[in-house]
Amino acid sequence: MVKIVEVKSVTKDFGEDGIVTRALRGVDLDLMAGEFTSMAGPSGSGKTTLLNIIGGLDRPTSGTVSIEGKEINQLSEGELSRLRRDRIGFIFQSYNLIPVLTAFENAEYVLMIQNMEKEERRERVLRVLKEVGLEGLEHRFPRELSGGQQRVAIARAIAPEPALILADEPTANVDSETASSLMDLLRRLNEEKGMTFLFSTHDHAVMKRAGRLIRLQDGRIIEDNLQTGYR
Amino acid sequence: MIFRVAWRSIWRNRRRTLITTASIALGLVIAIFFIAMAEGVYEQIVNDGVRMQAGHITLENPDYQAAPAIDLRIGDVENIRKHIKKNEAVGETKLLIWGQGVANSGAGAVGVSIMGVEPAVEIKNSPLARDIVSGAYLADDDDRKAVLGEHLAKELKLEPGSKIVITTNNARGELVAELCRVKGIFRTGSDEIDGYFIQIPLNFARRVFGLRADEATQLGVILKRPGDQQMLMKEIKPMVSGKNIAVLPWQQILPEVASYIRIDRVSNWVFQGLLFVIILFTILNTLLMSVMEREREFAVLLALGTPVRKLKGQLFLESVFIGCLGCFVGLTLGGAAAFALQIWGLDLAFLMPEGVTISGFAISTTVHALVTLPVFLWTGGIVLGAMLLLSLLIMRRISKVRLAETLR
Repeated sequence: MVKIVEVKSVTKDFGEDGIVTRALRGVDLDLMAGEFTSMAGPSGSGKTTLLNIIGGLDRPTSGTVSIEGKEINQLSEGELSRLRRDRIGFIFQSYNLIPVLTAFENAEYVLMIQNMEKEERRERVLRVLKEVGLEGLEHRFPRELSGGQQRVAIARAIAPEPALILADEPTANVDSETASSLMDLLRRLNEEKGMTFLFSTHDHAVMKRAGRLIRLQDGRIIEDNLQTGYR
Repeated sequence: MIFRVAWRSIWRNRRRTLITTASIALGLVIAIFFIAMAEGVYEQIVNDGVRMQAGHITLENPDYQAAPAIDLRIGDVENIRKHIKKNEAVGETKLLIWGQGVANSGAGAVGVSIMGVEPAVEIKNSPLARDIVSGAYLADDDDRKAVLGEHLAKELKLEPGSKIVITTNNARGELVAELCRVKGIFRTGSDEIDGYFIQIPLNFARRVFGLRADEATQLGVILKRPGDQQMLMKEIKPMVSGKNIAVLPWQQILPEVASYIRIDRVSNWVFQGLLFVIILFTILNTLLMSVMEREREFAVLLALGTPVRKLKGQLFLESVFIGCLGCFVGLTLGGAAAFALQIWGLDLAFLMPEGVTISGFAISTTVHALVTLPVFLWTGGIVLGAMLLLSLLIMRRISKVRLAETLR
């Protein structure tokens, strides 16, 4: 199996005025291609910090992170930006859609900055919007899609067909029914497209749906189990 | 896509965009209106000045400016005039004989400036010929006739038909006295002109000052377009080469007027500049607010892999859109207001009931603007340029966005 993510002895300190808070304390983690991994833990355990570091949104204080064998600590800001654009998809808790763009345009955005041909872009976006259940709603703006904003965010994340999708509490802002259907969608994308998912959650129902469950506490991984019979 | 995001982004906060646009537009309207009005006044001063005196270009004895004396005259004027008139840029030429003397009447004597003119040319060109308030202006076949200013007439107790004696030194240095009659009295509004100025027909002036038929103190050239001045001067100079004649621009003949315009123009631009700086701060504030409010959005775009330069480009475009919109509205409204002022004028007599005199020239209280393309290009260019410079400042914030912190 291909190793997508390799995290080695990563620590992360935050602080100012001499007061240092250690958010991660020597985390080691490997993610293999096609894994559907959930990361759980209480607030402040370091879930979001770890996701940010793996996604290249933040840099570790020490340790290394590699994506598809490429050590991202060594990359320049421009190279890191290209890595995020081409190989990593993000799904944020609060969607973070571009409000002035329609569902179609939001999903198209990354493909556009990848300089993909217009026709190919169009076909790809229409396909992913259909996959996430937004067929016919392509020209709605995010504000007009109150229940479907996270689906647009998912479409945006999967449109460039990245190797890894990082989702920070993707179901935190939706009701349990919507959360369940979103997890169904992510799971289906994982199975059908072989995309690697790593998501953080507080929700026990969501944790149970993952193939692998990692628990963090005080910046350390305290449990890392494959779950059998998950669904 | 960047265009689309930029364009739609500026309309997300419609009120802010409208306020920014309105600030730019208002600044431009004020700038264009007042600059065009000032340029109109300058043009009026110059136009009246050169037409009343010795034209946009003056040919005279090289020493005349330093010490105007009747013996410093130029010759062969009809021949030179004929050649100059062939140039298409020339609107009119005028001959002047200008000397000093004393005007005597039964009521007293006053030192005066005596100008010999060609009445037909003056009627066509000089505002003085239109300022007659009593009697009539001179005619070409008049002899021993004079028109003089209202204040002078009052002091010497003269009216049309009254006799007046002009005493002066002629070109040979002899004292001469000539009797003539007042034909008309003018009122220009200038104390200087109305109190010490007499015009007499050119041929009569030649007799008074002892000049030959093809002699004058000045040959003035009035241009169809003042902008042709330098070009025409270059063409005239070879025509008079070796004749001891200087070819001078009006700025040397009327230096006070030229200085006044230069100083007033600079102070006007400084005033507009200060106003503009105030407006720029308003714009800077709104642009900065707009960027700070959207830091999270920028962080998302950067997280998705948008290159920093592309995001900066988007911000730059937003400034370009707002700047262009403001310039379009400002230039349109400012231009319309200035054009209206150019066509219909604005009578400010209620603000200046005593009239206006600038550098000895009475200016009409009805001001007309002069709208020129350079004013549009300069003001619009400066505003747009400043907007873009501001956006460069604002763009620096993009590089400072901390993704993880902002997206938290």
